[in-house]
Amino acid sequence: MSDQLLAVDMRNIRRQFPGVLANNDVVFSVRAGEIHALVGENGAGKSTLMNILYGLIHPDSGEILINGKQAHITGPRDAISLGIGMVHQHFMLIPVFSVGENIMLGREPVAGPDFYDRGRARKEINDLTKKYGLALDPDARMGDMPVGLQQRAEIVKVLYRGASILILDEPTGVLTPQETKELFVVLRDLVKSGKTIIFISHKLKEVLDISDRITVMRRGRVVGHLTTKETNEEAIATLMVGREVLLRVDKKPAKPGAVVMKVENVTANSDQGVPALKGVSFELRQGEILGIAGVEGNGQSELMEVLAGTRKTTGGHILLGERDITTYDARTERDAGVAFIPEDRRGTGLVLSFSIAENSILGRERSPKFSWRNVVLKLVAIRDWARRLVQEYDVRTPTIEVAARNLSGGNQQKVIVAREMASKPKVLLAAQPTRGVDIGAIEFIHRRIVAERDEGTAVLLVSAELDEVRSLSDRIAVMYEGRIVSIEDPDTPEERLGLLMTGGGTRREGAA
Amino acid sequence: MPIGSVILAFIIGALIVAVTGANPFDAYSGLLCGGFGIACSQGENPALQLSNTVVFMIPLLTTGVAVALPFRAGLFNIGAEGQLLAGSVACTAIGIKFAGLPAPVLIPMVLIGGMLAGALWAGVAGVLKATVGAHEVVTTIMLNYVAQWLVRYLIIGGPLQLAPGTSRSSPIGVNAQLPTLLPADNSLIIFGLPASVFRVHWGLAIALAAVGAFAFLLWRTSLGYEIRAVGQSQKAARYAGVSVRRTIIVTMLIAGAFSGLAGAIQISGVDHSLTDKYFSDTTGFDAIAVALLGLGSAVGIILAAVLFGALHSGGAIMQSDSGISSNLVLVLQALILFSIAANFVGQIARLIPGIRRPQALPPELPPAAPLMTEAAAPPPEPA
Repeated sequence: MSDQLLAVDMRNIRRQFPGVLANNDVVFSVRAGEIHALVGENGAGKSTLMNILYGLIHPDSGEILINGKQAHITGPRDAISLGIGMVHQHFMLIPVFSVGENIMLGREPVAGPDFYDRGRARKEINDLTKKYGLALDPDARMGDMPVGLQQRAEIVKVLYRGASILILDEPTGVLTPQETKELFVVLRDLVKSGKTIIFISHKLKEVLDISDRITVMRRGRVVGHLTTKETNEEAIATLMVGREVLLRVDKKPAKPGAVVMKVENVTANSDQGVPALKGVSFELRQGEILGIAGVEGNGQSELMEVLAGTRKTTGGHILLGERDITTYDARTERDAGVAFIPEDRRGTGLVLSFSIAENSILGRERSPKFSWRNVVLKLVAIRDWARRLVQEYDVRTPTIEVAARNLSGGNQQKVIVAREMASKPKVLLAAQPTRGVDIGAIEFIHRRIVAERDEGTAVLLVSAELDEVRSLSDRIAVMYEGRIVSIEDPDTPEERLGLLMTGGGTRREGAA
Repeated sequence: MPIGSVILAFIIGALIVAVTGANPFDAYSGLLCGGFGIACSQGENPALQLSNTVVFMIPLLTTGVAVALPFRAGLFNIGAEGQLLAGSVACTAIGIKFAGLPAPVLIPMVLIGGMLAGALWAGVAGVLKATVGAHEVVTTIMLNYVAQWLVRYLIIGGPLQLAPGTSRSSPIGVNAQLPTLLPADNSLIIFGLPASVFRVHWGLAIALAAVGAFAFLLWRTSLGYEIRAVGQSQKAARYAGVSVRRTIIVTMLIAGAFSGLAGAIQISGVDHSLTDKYFSDTTGFDAIAVALLGLGSAVGIILAAVLFGALHSGGAIMQSDSGISSNLVLVLQALILFSIAANFVGQIARLIPGIRRPQALPPELPPAAPLMTEAAAPPPEPA
């Protein structure tokens, strides 16, 4: 190991935040020309470490060597001049600018004072994209580009600034399986031409697929340096969580019962007023999990909101049993037995400044169980209820008076899951139920969803993680551009689902 | 944090006094005497000073609530003054018109009349916000002007004018007047003074009850829960099935009723007629400072109202004892508000090494500065 040149060598990095030791004597080294994966759960300290490397956070102690030389990184400017580039999880792009303008932003070639030299910019970008085999049209408007190409533009932007060490923060989170494959081809080419890549991810399959070596972090410490070829998913997960975890969802075959919810040709608009649902029809049965697979932004969010009553339909019908609930609002839907785990946990599913107890009755603050005649809250009943939920759903908190803001992502999500499931719903709408929560909580929430199904609840699941949809669902509906294009078995090959999700493939019409 | 702001304001105030050549200690001992009856040097009667402070405090309590409640819903009610005036007009009109009714009927009538008028005044802003998205800061400010000019019209040449050439209304009926706590009897000597000079009236009990009702509404009722939910996250409120529009309107109606109550109490308990003094009344504006300083909580509002009441009543004594203009009080009030809004104390604390505290958890109610930027947020619910 020591005979190889280290592109990045971070030694004994320590950084204390109020109440947490985010990095505790972290040793992290990346060899020149490798793809090095940095994995760990939320809050393990990965972002802190990378922000230190990129100069956004200063360590309390420790030293950093870049290409064998001591480096003093006081800000991103220093990092960039040392050849370090960062592709953020959330793109830093201006949608109304062209691809070229976005790439050049801040470093525009100028002809004379203050004149943007479009010709030279185009040539420089073309040279760069040709060199690394990254096809991009510099004149296209950024906002019109698919996410995969936007990400590519981010990568080119970093290369344009002369980066030789690229940090990619959760780069596949927003990509389709196909786009992920294309990204991996690009990454391998970049390494071949001498770049070094740090790949941050929690998707272990991808990590095993793309990386040469792996560093695992847990609670601010490095708990393992692994060579990818010599390890496997279970071993990494065990290191990440600190105990053995069940990666596969353990479930019996479904016993679907009667149709509970019937969706007929439903149409609805997005927030921007353009059609987002263009005639969605399906049936949902008791005791089954229907998963919706699709690239984000193809109408899944709108579908869930329509079914939960927080978005108006522009056509079609929704039946709950015999009842037409098309025009129901969120409250009447909930009273009718439709529970909803929304995808936006922090903004929608919780009032962050409210305590756990207060959040445990969100949407039910006027129900007879928690109020006298819709007016005065029954504080004792609310406290008992919250205590029960915290206990049954294993929410890790000292008391139920803790503000939701101060819980970890996984525990926040458990509060929502508990509240929605404990109301004994007929239909459970679960949108991205495990997004951004740690493996332990994912395991728990998955088990609960399956248990809910086994008790006869009809579950509709939307997830951007294809793995999650495949492992939980009894049937998979693929959504593309506001329509359900096919209903598939859960063991359908990933390639076929990926193709359907992007508008290809032969469609099998929704026979349930 | 709020206490720090007050201290900071007093320090700056002292510097201003010193710079202008007077003695800050004289100024503040005057304030202390006038506000709380402590450390009086010229033989003022402490009980009388306290009584005056309480009289000033009473309307600040209810108007403070009228600002704090909408804060909880994410609304900035700048219109407490207009709502107060609407309440005092209604109280005056009813108190004159039905002067013949017995007090147990008439007093509730004038108070409820004032509350309804205040609710109406604020309700206009609430409805406009909920339906066409007109910003409540703008509409409530405008409605303040409407109310001020309405009062002007009513008592100068208008239907409520006492006599041509005067700028006051006829007095309300005796049965419409809130009794003072002590009997208005000159032969009864209390604390060395005739009982009739102590002007503390039963409005104190009503105002304290109003603050209690505010706390109960906010923390113990479904509506209060929804108001707070709307204020913290409209998305979450909508997800819960709360109608954001309805909640905005209801919140403004209740807030207006609290302000209107203040106006009615002032007429019924203190002034007994609508006078030109109301043209330049600033209670509804001081209420903004009271609500901010009290962090929107019931106990905080009471404490802040005591402070502002004491400043008000102390200003006169300061002027007569030490010759420093009572306008210093207005400067102090402004400095307190300014220092809260700009979070000076927090900024200063950050500059001093060694007391770099861990990032404090955000307080229940967002501090003033974000509230003010919130005021620029887009209107709710497009649909």
